[in-house]
Amino acid sequence: MNALALWVHTPAAQAVGWALVHFLWEGAALAAVLAATLFLLRPSSARARYAAACLTLFAMPVAFAITLLVLLPGHNIEAVNLVRLPNAPRLSAVPLFQPAPAPRTFRDLLPWLAPCWFAGVAFFYARGLAAWFAARRLRQRGICAPPPAWQGRLAQLGARMRLSRPVRLLESCFTDAPVLVGYLRPVILMPLGCLANLPAGQIECILIHELAHIRRHDYLVNLLQGFVEGLLFYHPAVWWASRMAREERENCCDDAVVELTGDARVYAATLAALEHRRALAFEAAVAVTGGSLMKRIRRLLTQPQPAQPSAAPAFAAGLLLVAFTAALAAWPARPPARLPIPSVALEARLLESQTLEPQSSPLTGALQASPIPRQQPAAFLSFLNFFAQTQAPPAQRKGGDGTAQQALTTPYRKWLNEDVVYIITDEERATFKSLQTDEEREQFIEQFWLRRDPTPDTVENEFREEHYRRIAYANEHFASLVPGWKTDRGRIYITYGPPDEIEDHSSGGSYQRPAAEGGGTTSTFPFQQWRYRFIEGVGTNVIVEFVDPAMTGEYHMTMDPSEKDALLNVPNAGLTILEQLGITDKSQRFSNPDGTHTAAPLGGQPNSAAPARGGKLFVSAQDPRVSFVAGDAAAAGTGLSVVVVQFGSSRDSFHVFGEVTLPQRRVVHAFEGTSENSVNVSGQQVLTEFVSLPAGSYRLAVAVKDMTTGETKNSEIAFQVN
Amino acid sequence: MSAKLSDPPRPTDAELEILTVLWSRGASTVRAVHEAIVRRKPTQYTTVLKVLQIMAEKGLVRRDEKQRAHIYSASRPAEWTQRQLAGDLLQRAFGGSAKSLLLGALSSRRASRQELAELRQFLEEYEKGTP
Repeated sequence: MNALALWVHTPAAQAVGWALVHFLWEGAALAAVLAATLFLLRPSSARARYAAACLTLFAMPVAFAITLLVLLPGHNIEAVNLVRLPNAPRLSAVPLFQPAPAPRTFRDLLPWLAPCWFAGVAFFYARGLAAWFAARRLRQRGICAPPPAWQGRLAQLGARMRLSRPVRLLESCFTDAPVLVGYLRPVILMPLGCLANLPAGQIECILIHELAHIRRHDYLVNLLQGFVEGLLFYHPAVWWASRMAREERENCCDDAVVELTGDARVYAATLAALEHRRALAFEAAVAVTGGSLMKRIRRLLTQPQPAQPSAAPAFAAGLLLVAFTAALAAWPARPPARLPIPSVALEARLLESQTLEPQSSPLTGALQASPIPRQQPAAFLSFLNFFAQTQAPPAQRKGGDGTAQQALTTPYRKWLNEDVVYIITDEERATFKSLQTDEEREQFIEQFWLRRDPTPDTVENEFREEHYRRIAYANEHFASLVPGWKTDRGRIYITYGPPDEIEDHSSGGSYQRPAAEGGGTTSTFPFQQWRYRFIEGVGTNVIVEFVDPAMTGEYHMTMDPSEKDALLNVPNAGLTILEQLGITDKSQRFSNPDGTHTAAPLGGQPNSAAPARGGKLFVSAQDPRVSFVAGDAAAAGTGLSVVVVQFGSSRDSFHVFGEVTLPQRRVVHAFEGTSENSVNVSGQQVLTEFVSLPAGSYRLAVAVKDMTTGETKNSEIAFQVN
Repeated sequence: MSAKLSDPPRPTDAELEILTVLWSRGASTVRAVHEAIVRRKPTQYTTVLKVLQIMAEKGLVRRDEKQRAHIYSASRPAEWTQRQLAGDLLQRAFGGSAKSLLLGALSSRRASRQELAELRQFLEEYEKGTP
């Protein structure tokens, strides 16, 4: 206390005290100027208003500093107080604690302003420091990375706004509204569930708003603002100017969003939706009217704002009045009412700081949001379609890449379009293309492999090694005029690995057809059949046939078993057994409904596709007539098809085996039965089978055996389910 | 009282991060959680697995073992954990003041119900006014 009492009576303390008092009117005057400026600027853009507010705010500490310098000893006659100094030592604090002489003058109290002010400044700066630590903690705790697509979109938006710094997007469970944290390494924190629940357009609006903050260096300005607020905390004008700057700053960013998206309505709806979400999560305890959000939205939607009867002029006049009073009060050196205490604004701020940080944030939809499905061909059909669509992958894909591809430099383009073209998902591809810097791309590639690493704990990435081994193998073994990885065989090899079995006919020549292709002997082009026992997502026992009809060494994948047949177009050569017997004609091969030129299979479906059947299927001239009726009753999405098999004879019982297949001969439904007791009106035996089929085209193959004579007959028909 | 006893303990920072992923993505496999976390910082798969197992023991997460890949889900909503952490004095002292540093599309003060109603009315009127 001694030291303090001593210090209080130094000229410096006097100067500080006077500077504080003088700032009362200085601050008020500056605020009045600002109020007037804002009033005049009303219709103009937020940018000018923001500049005015900032300028005023930062002029305040400058004014204070100048006043202080002028008042410091050596400049001013206030140094007369030095005369007290000799009395001070040895007196200890006793006289100070005695009841003051009745009319204590303002000059006596004045020096005590300085320590009070220091204490206040220390308090506010300590709070600021705590806030800084809290903000840092906020970006480290309770966060998780958003779906990569959003990070990519953010990078795109950043590039569009010409931001030099990379911005990170994170989801946080501690914020209840989207916020920006950090200046050098900015992070945008989204509340949980926001990304999953709001429409993409609205999220983009939010992101643009936050990016606008970054572009305008608002975080730094805000820090400086806090510095000024803490320094001159006792003057309401400071808080008011600071609040004006904050408001106008948001307006500036609002303008940026509207400028970029061109739609104020979507943005206004976004703000309202955000506020609504927040309110749902946490019912506001205190009802306050005239919130800033309402003002902002009004401003957004009604650009030339109606000159509402504003409080600004009255406020400015009031401030001026206060300023003059303060100046008058300071000059004749009368005691001030009491130590100037930051009034309304400060109280409001203190209140604000008491509202706790960890608020409940909306989660409702987050739990419903499922992880992104991995894209894998679900069935053989989609597997085939998948290939049918991308027969020439590099060429086709390049076409669609558009402008983003331009930004990709060669090594990365090669990585995307060659190295991983067969295994990268569409989503990953989109993300990769949206990345802006090589650093991000490197990181993406690393994570791409890491995600596929079967043993992430080891240094080796077996998946990547195997992948590159396959590419090398394909290039070594399958290359022709086309690099090996681009060929069909290369593609299958890289995607599914080495087949379990290869039937190699790479020299072509004489070929004994299997019964499924009609039997007989023919001559073939070079071809290979690869058999996979199991492919995940495709099925078991998958046979892929590659044929090289042009003899260039470039085998292409085919679904048509007749494509390898070199004698296909030669009349009366390479006949099947049925054709040799004269039962069918070779020309019939060209009227298949499924587009292939395969001969009718000898004895039905290949054994691999159908269960074993009893009885040899030979055909006799006088066999039961088989007819098919394929009716359908369409019901939302799937049609119920009734397959009716009718026989011309009523004598005996028949055994029937039937299969409904896709045009590619994949079995959809198989049935077996006897026709013993069902006879239709015309006396024919009938077998009815109900099959539920999705719309599409199908084939029905039926084998019928007369149980008494042992006669068999098979037949096939194509039909359509609508 | 019994409910109080069965309340899981306050999550640590590492656990909180995993919880955040689960809240954000919904019920997930360990692999999915790992994928989300590794995007932010390099973490071993086994680490995530271990932490999840510990959390399951503590009762912070639930494990669904019906499928081959176990599926984890947060046992408490985000609000509950936020309340738990609000008891943290440090958090309370810091949380409020941090707001003055954050820049957001919304002000740190929440809108009241009345304001929201006004807002909605205004937007509706505006929509009507500009077909």
